[in-house]
Amino acid sequence: MAGELVSPTPTLRGSARRAAALRLLRRRLIQAVPLMLGVVVINFCLIQMAPGSFLELMTAENQVSDPATVALLRKTYGLEDPVWMQLLKYIWALLHFDFGFSYRQNMPVIQAIWIHLPATILLMVSSITLAVSIGVAAGVVASMKVRTLWDSLVSVAAMFFYAAPSFWLGIMMIVLFSVKLGWLPVGGMMKIGGASGGPVAGVIDILHHLILPTLALGLFYAAIYTRVMRSSMLEVAQLDFVRTARAKGLSRNKVTIHHVLRNALLPVVTILGVQMGTVLAGSVVIESVFSWPGVGSLLFDSVSSRNYPVVLGIMVLGSLVVIAANIAVDLIYMWLDPRIEIR
Amino acid sequence: MQRFGLPRFEFVGRFSRNRGALIGACLMLIVALMAVFASVFFPTDPLRIVGLPELWPGEDPEFPLGTDSLGRDILSMIVHGARATLLIGLFASAVATIIGVGVGATAGYFGGWVDEIAMRAAELFQTIPNLIFVLTIVVILGSTLTNIVIAIGIVSWTPIARMTRAEFLSLRDREFVQACRSMGMSDFRIIASEILPNALPPVIVLSSLVVAGAILFESAVSFLGLGDPNVASWGRLVGDGRQLIRSSWYICAIPGIAIMITVLCLNLVGDGLNDALNPKLRDR
Repeated sequence: MAGELVSPTPTLRGSARRAAALRLLRRRLIQAVPLMLGVVVINFCLIQMAPGSFLELMTAENQVSDPATVALLRKTYGLEDPVWMQLLKYIWALLHFDFGFSYRQNMPVIQAIWIHLPATILLMVSSITLAVSIGVAAGVVASMKVRTLWDSLVSVAAMFFYAAPSFWLGIMMIVLFSVKLGWLPVGGMMKIGGASGGPVAGVIDILHHLILPTLALGLFYAAIYTRVMRSSMLEVAQLDFVRTARAKGLSRNKVTIHHVLRNALLPVVTILGVQMGTVLAGSVVIESVFSWPGVGSLLFDSVSSRNYPVVLGIMVLGSLVVIAANIAVDLIYMWLDPRIEIR
Repeated sequence: MQRFGLPRFEFVGRFSRNRGALIGACLMLIVALMAVFASVFFPTDPLRIVGLPELWPGEDPEFPLGTDSLGRDILSMIVHGARATLLIGLFASAVATIIGVGVGATAGYFGGWVDEIAMRAAELFQTIPNLIFVLTIVVILGSTLTNIVIAIGIVSWTPIARMTRAEFLSLRDREFVQACRSMGMSDFRIIASEILPNALPPVIVLSSLVVAGAILFESAVSFLGLGDPNVASWGRLVGDGRQLIRSSWYICAIPGIAIMITVLCLNLVGDGLNDALNPKLRDR
């Protein structure tokens, strides 16, 4: 708890810290196994509840009506087996990174997701970076100028972005920055046919397309972090070690940056970990608004064509990304606050 | 039954001194009245064509918020949409609260392996990307109002469960509970009629915030075109207007503003209730 924090004195050093981090990593990985199993079972059962199998849609789309072929397909896809057997087979296949086959893309599910993954990860990373940097900066400013005009402005902006639906914000930004002002592209990830002028121009082109989706997805989280950061800064600033630091004669700015900020970051990091799944899910909507070629587009396409192996694969991989991000957050937490041995 | 907490008048006083919360509550009341009396203000079907298409707001005094691409009155659609949006938000939050309180109370009261299982389940539902899960449930079980409400409830219960559990953990060994136990009261009765009423205030505050989240969820589902086709919620209106942002962006903008104001008010009210419940935590 923040109330028990003392001055940030490093208690573990060098090899001891590394060993503690490894212990944490091992414990987290072991805990992840039942969690992943739960994710697979829940989603598998959910998809079993779907009326009709994907096979019916697949045969209808490809105009296969020969009963012998259908029976053969049923056997190939293992639909003859009882449900628990199918589940066990699926889990066994997952252990070998086999997520099944997507007839629509005519490639393994894992490959179909793999193609779309970089775009989504790029969007997620840039949005989270934006959210944390704006949130921390605005929270610090508001807490240092508490009960002034600055504080009120920051609070109002945070309230606004916390309540605005991200997809609507995205559309409004398209109207302003793309349609009216013509500064930024309406959607997509790069110019059609690619940017001319080598790899540097290509990267700049992608960044250019990245600005609006990042803002639309990131500003909501920036609002959350601003509010958390402000209250956390105010709370930490009242603790004894801060008064000690001031009494030693350190300047206010120095105390804020070296003593308060570091401890005040902890709640932000906690929330960041909890929200990783939400950010991933939020990117689905944003990808749809901006025609961003990520996992969201693939999911939307698969959901509407009832391509369940892909939907299941996205759920499982998505949860895996969330768990991995949570472990990363725990390690950051430990680095920020060396006294904590996370359970 | 013993009650802890503030006297009621003190609570009301604290709440009404919070300007933001008061404004939020008033605006929320207006939105709620709009939803309740929608058919009184606009007796005709909001989806009926009543005027020229794509009239800008203010262009024709008969349609203060303009008309959409088919010539339907946007103000009428907003007022009728308020009903759908608020009902979905309230019911989804109710589903989340029932699941959350049930799980959290059981976990906090019994502790041990029951607690362990409940908290692992909560962790599980926090791991699955929530909106993706909602979309999948809605697609598999069908885009009906009931399914959307249940799906949103299923992904929103974890914070309520955690809070209920924490409250139960702090209350379950108090003297009045021990007294009930020594009298031979059943576990269920202790949970339902002794601990729960004391644990409920912060939980109710949280579920008012869940309403806001549920409205945002529903708007995203409807925006993506997976909402109930018979219900014109605000999210769907934004989605419908999306094709016309080059010529008539107001069709998209207006329902979005309605969503934003409603969510903003719910957040303000929730924050106000929270501050009034925990006066120590003000200024945080």
